[in-house]
Amino acid sequence: MNAAVPGARPTGALVTAVRLAPLFARRRDGDRLALWLPVVSFAVVTALLELVAGGAQAFFRWDDDLASTYQTLAVIALVLLLVPLGTVGASAARLAARRRDERLSSLRLLGATTGTVTTLTVLEAAATAFVGALAGTLLYGVTAPLLGLLQFRGEALGAQVWVPWWWLPLAVAVVTLLAAASAVAGLRAVVVTPLGVRTRQRPGTAHWVRVVIAGAVLLAGLGLMQLLGVLGQMGGIVAIVGALAASFGAMLLALDALGPWFVRVRARRQARKAATVPRLLAARMILEDPKATWRQVSGVAMTSFVGVFGAVGLAMANLSATEDMAADERWLMHDISTGVLVTVAGSFLMVACSVGINQAAATLDRAAVHVSLDRLGVPRTVMAEASRRSVMSALWMVAGGSALCAAVLLFPLVGFAIFVQPIAVATALAVFAAGFGAVRGAAALSARLVPGILARPERVL
Amino acid sequence: MQYPGGATPALDAVDLDIAPGTSVAVMGASGSGKTTLLHCLAGILRPTAGSVTFASGSGPVDVATLGDDARARLRREELGFVFQQGLLLGELTALENVAVARMLGGVPRAQAEAEAAQWLTHLGLAGMEQRRLGELSGGQAQRVAIARAQVTGARLIFADEPTGALDSTTSEEVLDLLLAAVAAGRTLVVVTHDADVARRCARTVVLRDGRVVSDTALAAAAGGAATPGEVAR
Repeated sequence: MNAAVPGARPTGALVTAVRLAPLFARRRDGDRLALWLPVVSFAVVTALLELVAGGAQAFFRWDDDLASTYQTLAVIALVLLLVPLGTVGASAARLAARRRDERLSSLRLLGATTGTVTTLTVLEAAATAFVGALAGTLLYGVTAPLLGLLQFRGEALGAQVWVPWWWLPLAVAVVTLLAAASAVAGLRAVVVTPLGVRTRQRPGTAHWVRVVIAGAVLLAGLGLMQLLGVLGQMGGIVAIVGALAASFGAMLLALDALGPWFVRVRARRQARKAATVPRLLAARMILEDPKATWRQVSGVAMTSFVGVFGAVGLAMANLSATEDMAADERWLMHDISTGVLVTVAGSFLMVACSVGINQAAATLDRAAVHVSLDRLGVPRTVMAEASRRSVMSALWMVAGGSALCAAVLLFPLVGFAIFVQPIAVATALAVFAAGFGAVRGAAALSARLVPGILARPERVL
Repeated sequence: MQYPGGATPALDAVDLDIAPGTSVAVMGASGSGKTTLLHCLAGILRPTAGSVTFASGSGPVDVATLGDDARARLRREELGFVFQQGLLLGELTALENVAVARMLGGVPRAQAEAEAAQWLTHLGLAGMEQRRLGELSGGQAQRVAIARAQVTGARLIFADEPTGALDSTTSEEVLDLLLAAVAAGRTLVVVTHDADVARRCARTVVLRDGRVVSDTALAAAAGGAATPGEVAR
């Protein structure tokens, strides 16, 4: 059947999408939160990206003997922070994509081609991210002076945390492009039909094969550690550092492979034993997609792991410190400690952002369920508690599990560190506690959306 | 009942007395106020004027004067709901969806699940307890919703288009189950567009523009009854 309108000329997907985009940009009466949440998310991502880059590049302005040590450590911290930063970015992109689902199917119903739908989606994601990234750059301008208060080598970083001006438009461009790419990837995971949007596949179920792979990777890492002496004799310090890096990477890979599987196994056990409705719901929410739960908090896994390594290493180094140690070397010890804490705090902050965004998106997605439960007389606190539990339960397991993993690897030294450096250990624990508090607060924030949803139930049912 | 910003009342001068153990169908065109009436009766909405008296287990209560928490408790403990979409939680199994209603009332999980299993078996879902919402047909999901509406011992069940998304055979089966609850002593208020559903209820109330324009109970009392099909037209 050819339904061409007489006189109408066929137009390309891009042209059609560009014509439609302004119409969609000013829609959504009353749904401002859904529109602004992705913008705010991208703003947070951009600000964090620029802050992390600013902090790391500060060390590259030094050129003395110890500069290379600081720069190496800065790169390690940067790599560790990129994982949770990537998670926040992906969360923001997913949130932006979810908000479009309903309109995409309506467009298809009206006869829009897949190309038009895809182009419109990418344009909107890019525009949202662009506005958010600009706002994030302003946020960086406000918060960078706070980062500058951090002291290294006895002096505040100060103006060194300001990145060169041309990094800022670069960061905006990177965030915008990544959001567009993420939107394309997100569309690949769904089928947009005139009757609705559905996912192409069931959520991941975290197969046990991951455990086997993780075991093999872990054994390889441990094997490398055992060969350090031999490698040192054969290839010198370069071989030792290389082996340490490979071993460290293997541990992280093992963690990432094991994580979703552990999350699933634990949630299944919790679902079986749950005695209250929030506990049961929380466990079932995790089981819906253990990989997604893991992804949300996995940033803390890496830093918890490194945090234990760093804390124990420092305790040992402090023990071996002597009076005749150079001032620079003393500062290095102190600065590594600061760096570890800042990295752990930074990763918790990013996980908190990611959790806040994901939970807000989940609450908006489940708006109909919230209305339904309210109609059934289910107390509003039940869903809020279930949602918070689903995050915190995974976080406890991830942070605790990773720290335990590292502690097992360094078994005798950990106990020793607690004994000889109680203040350092207490400080690290305080940072972890504050991090947990931040994530809990972020998880609880989404509950504030529920009264707004319940005030206008006709919008979701 | 007037919605904020509404030009005309959503419900106006509605005066109904629903006897225990009966089935009442509420009919009318879209926008006639059927669902608003159901929401007012069930304490989901608080009417802007008038009263809704419910004979609860602890005596009559004016639902319209109760606070949000008290109305939520009333819905949770004394009322049952079956809606078009079932309002089931997708993450939970059929058994858990029913058991949750009891667990919210403080019943231990093992006991709640045992009672839920009995209801599912009674409604023909034996062997499907561990299935999730996506693994159930529309009719099976509605049976789960009916089980959940009754497992708490609710004496009054509200159903909003319970057969709206079902084929005619499954609709009949679901309606059989709802009317079986009435036979067991419960009261059923069902909002429907379907004249066949209304025909099987003991009483039909028809709304138009928020007003009751026909009530078979009143018509019968007056000596002449109109059929739901006739009044719906």
